[in-house]
Amino acid sequence: MLLEFIKDAILAAMAAIGFGAISRIPRRAYLWCALIAAISHSCRFLLMDKDLGDLHILAATAIASFLTGILAVFVSPLAKTPAEAYFFPSLLPMIPGIYAYKSFGGIVMCILGESQQHFQYYFYQFARNGLICFAIILAMVTCATIPIFTFKTTAFSATR
Amino acid sequence: MTNTTINAAASCRATAFTATQRDNPSSKEVCLFLADYAVSLLGSGATCIRLEKNILRMASAFGKKVELTIMPRHIHMTVWQPNADDQFTSISSVKSGPISFSLNTTLSRLSWRVADEGLSLDETRKKLLEATTTDKDNPWLTLLLASLANASFCGIFGGDPTAMSIVFIATAAGFNLKQLLAKLHADTRLAFFLCAFVSSVIGSSDFLFPSGSTPAVAVGTSVLYLVPGIPFLNSFSDLLYRHYICAFSRFTDAMILTGCLSLGLCLGMKLMNVGMF
Repeated sequence: MLLEFIKDAILAAMAAIGFGAISRIPRRAYLWCALIAAISHSCRFLLMDKDLGDLHILAATAIASFLTGILAVFVSPLAKTPAEAYFFPSLLPMIPGIYAYKSFGGIVMCILGESQQHFQYYFYQFARNGLICFAIILAMVTCATIPIFTFKTTAFSATR
Repeated sequence: MTNTTINAAASCRATAFTATQRDNPSSKEVCLFLADYAVSLLGSGATCIRLEKNILRMASAFGKKVELTIMPRHIHMTVWQPNADDQFTSISSVKSGPISFSLNTTLSRLSWRVADEGLSLDETRKKLLEATTTDKDNPWLTLLLASLANASFCGIFGGDPTAMSIVFIATAAGFNLKQLLAKLHADTRLAFFLCAFVSSVIGSSDFLFPSGSTPAVAVGTSVLYLVPGIPFLNSFSDLLYRHYICAFSRFTDAMILTGCLSLGLCLGMKLMNVGMF
């Protein structure tokens, strides 16, 4: 369990650094970004764990995103970088990419399928995965943005 | 006249121009500068709320008022001098380029320097030009980090070391192709489709290795580096701040790109005869 937890944190940190590089974050932000991603992703890991939080992915992601937002807002003035530069790459490992493309795969298979049963199955895949994906992203962004709303002065004067 | 004399004369003119502008730049000058700034900031992947705040901050520092409409591909801006008959309106096209939080940071900092240090319009314009022209990354480092990130993703989703290695190679190949296509100014949707196809074909090769116990995870995660996360997140952020048109536009863009990558993935899996979903 502890090993899994540490592994999850390290992998999330590496993913955040990589996505930070793709979205060209300032160099001084890499370390903070990795730290925020590790903390928030491990928080989600614990919240979804059957023996600990046992929460649904939606609720766990919402709580972890809120934590990401809080950390990003208070870390941003330290490195004089906008909070988005931290929380976007940190949130990206939580983007439900698999749900998104399963949803599109469902559409494709609906079109390619020939029987009614086939269509119904894949339409269900499309609708279910699409809705989950939409709800997770909405929860993620809403919860990560709440700290920016709440601490507007800190968030928007970070680069001062 | 020698070159030195010409440069000195130009420098004198520039100094005189700067002094005039520092005192009271016209609405036209401020509007044209702010329009340039806004299209660069929005093109770098900033949210509408940040764009509004930065523009209002700088306009106020230059002693002007500003109203702006942020459209998906254009920014419509009117700048005026309070209590004077001096106003100017411009419509500028948003610069489409790679997302860059580094540029976003530099431009946000510039807006604070204008407000706090009283940078002149001419100095600010030079700083903007410098920021937009020097914003470069190291493509090889980005390629390495992106590949490591996607391999980590595979690990997060439960992939074994074989799957992670294959995802690393699949991402390196796909991302390299993406960089090449970006250099050739290829259509983004076509690039997403082709990169997803290449990555999924390589990702599917995990089915060929007897040591691989999680080939499905390898295929699934091989294209995740293409998921347009920042447009998705920005669209929801704009939605929360009631920039509905921009939010809808960014969301549509992100959905189209996800559709292209899904098509590439489906085709790759079909070619490799891997079960779909």
